[in-house]
Amino acid sequence: MANPWIAYLVVPFVKIVVILLVLILVAAYLSFFERKILAYMQIRVGPNRVWPRGWLQPIADALKLFVKEIVIPARAERLVYLLGPVIMIIPALVVFSVIPFAPEGTFFGLLKQPIAPYLTDVNIGILFLLGVSSVGVYGVILGGWASNNKFSLMGGLRSAAQLVSYEVPMGFSVVAVLLMANSLSLVKIVEAQKNAGVWYFLPGFVAAFIYFACGVAETNRNPFDLPEAESELVAGFHTEYSGMNFAFYFLAEYANMVVISAVTTVLFFGGWLRPFPNVAALAFLDVIPPFVWFALKVGFFLYCYIWFRGTFPRYRFDQLMALGWKVFLPVSLVNLLVIGLGVLLIGGPR
Amino acid sequence: MSLGSYLASLLPIDLAQGLGVTGRFFFMRKATIQYPDVKPVPKPRFRGMFGFNEERCIVCHNCAKACPIAIIHIRDHFEEIEVDGKKKKKKVLDRFDIDVKRCMFCGLCEEACPTEPVAIWLTTMSYEMAAYERNERLYYDKERLQNWDGVQPYPGVVSPEAGQLPNDPTGGKAAKPEERR
Repeated sequence: MANPWIAYLVVPFVKIVVILLVLILVAAYLSFFERKILAYMQIRVGPNRVWPRGWLQPIADALKLFVKEIVIPARAERLVYLLGPVIMIIPALVVFSVIPFAPEGTFFGLLKQPIAPYLTDVNIGILFLLGVSSVGVYGVILGGWASNNKFSLMGGLRSAAQLVSYEVPMGFSVVAVLLMANSLSLVKIVEAQKNAGVWYFLPGFVAAFIYFACGVAETNRNPFDLPEAESELVAGFHTEYSGMNFAFYFLAEYANMVVISAVTTVLFFGGWLRPFPNVAALAFLDVIPPFVWFALKVGFFLYCYIWFRGTFPRYRFDQLMALGWKVFLPVSLVNLLVIGLGVLLIGGPR
Repeated sequence: MSLGSYLASLLPIDLAQGLGVTGRFFFMRKATIQYPDVKPVPKPRFRGMFGFNEERCIVCHNCAKACPIAIIHIRDHFEEIEVDGKKKKKKVLDRFDIDVKRCMFCGLCEEACPTEPVAIWLTTMSYEMAAYERNERLYYDKERLQNWDGVQPYPGVVSPEAGQLPNDPTGGKAAKPEERR
């Protein structure tokens, strides 16, 4: 990479385009798989009319949303109303700049020099990720407030309360990983799991459980989907949104699900590593390329999201708050103590 | 609550049980019938569109009286006919109309029919009666009742085991999915 124009302009641009395209496609098809899996769990068939066998359903949905009219309520705060979906979707997409999909490689020898398939490796990657992804809730609150609708406002307020309560145990469970990995960079965390020889899921299964549960709560999904509880709030914060505005909220929600799944994979399930990366007896698993390992794990967590939605009833709001403050917070604190002691006694990363 | 069950309640066992149920249903055979492509075949006891036989009808009006919403309209008159040299009065059917668009297919007219075999019956296994014009298409006079497209002769008395649900292979006796072990 002698030419700085190529190294600093063309290559990142190509990466950005590829990541965004793949992400939007994944988010769109996630909605298709959600409908399909939910249908299968209710012994139905699900969407199967759009040729072939329903596989073009997301494309049809996107076309429909493109041509739909954007209705703005008469008494809405116009500027904020239009900004809400934008504020929601930008952090959801920006976060993907630091998520490592695979290690540096030459793509099966296609390239002359090894190239990193992720956009950047920030040395404070996990802080960047937590900070940026939390901005997204402004989109929910502002959109809910600007709609001038009581259901939207209630949904936005609930979302804010939920995010504030669940950010704390989520942060503590991330700190447990940081203690074990001794780094804030997501790439270094995966490499530390390779050096340690185990995924951090094994020593930190409590942290992994709490992180994923809080992630489900942060993305407003079942059983924590209070902000858009249909039975009480119509559609919550996006009651008044239509057309592409609604599509942005929709896309952002699914992109956030992919973020949480990807970060759970990176922090606790070894990112692109195969199971037990140092055991030579399992070396035949290296046939599967690292990116596929990553995609498989992310896919598993996305399936869990939909599985939860097909299984669990919604929490009541006080139960939600009680779970966050009285269960997850103390458990994650105790877990942090235990893991800190373990790192101190057994010896963490050198 | 004993200490053991209290400790067990701390673990998310119930959540795992719930996930197990949905996970099992995921692999079950789907109950959906792709209707316009695959047509469900009703069982013999299925209450479909009417069949009517004028020859068996004795014009007793029992079906019209039994109908809870009075949609069977019967008109008759007496005719004198000679049987074995004697003059006899006989009821002759002028009209036998059923306003099918209001029918709820309860089958009380079939139960009320005194002839053997019955002159009006519901077990024709036909359920495709959608029409664009309800007053013309869904008001059946006695000719159309006997000759509509797909009308079938009375199947005789059907045993209760024959079932009523379309595509129910066990005749309504199968365990519901949640009862299946």
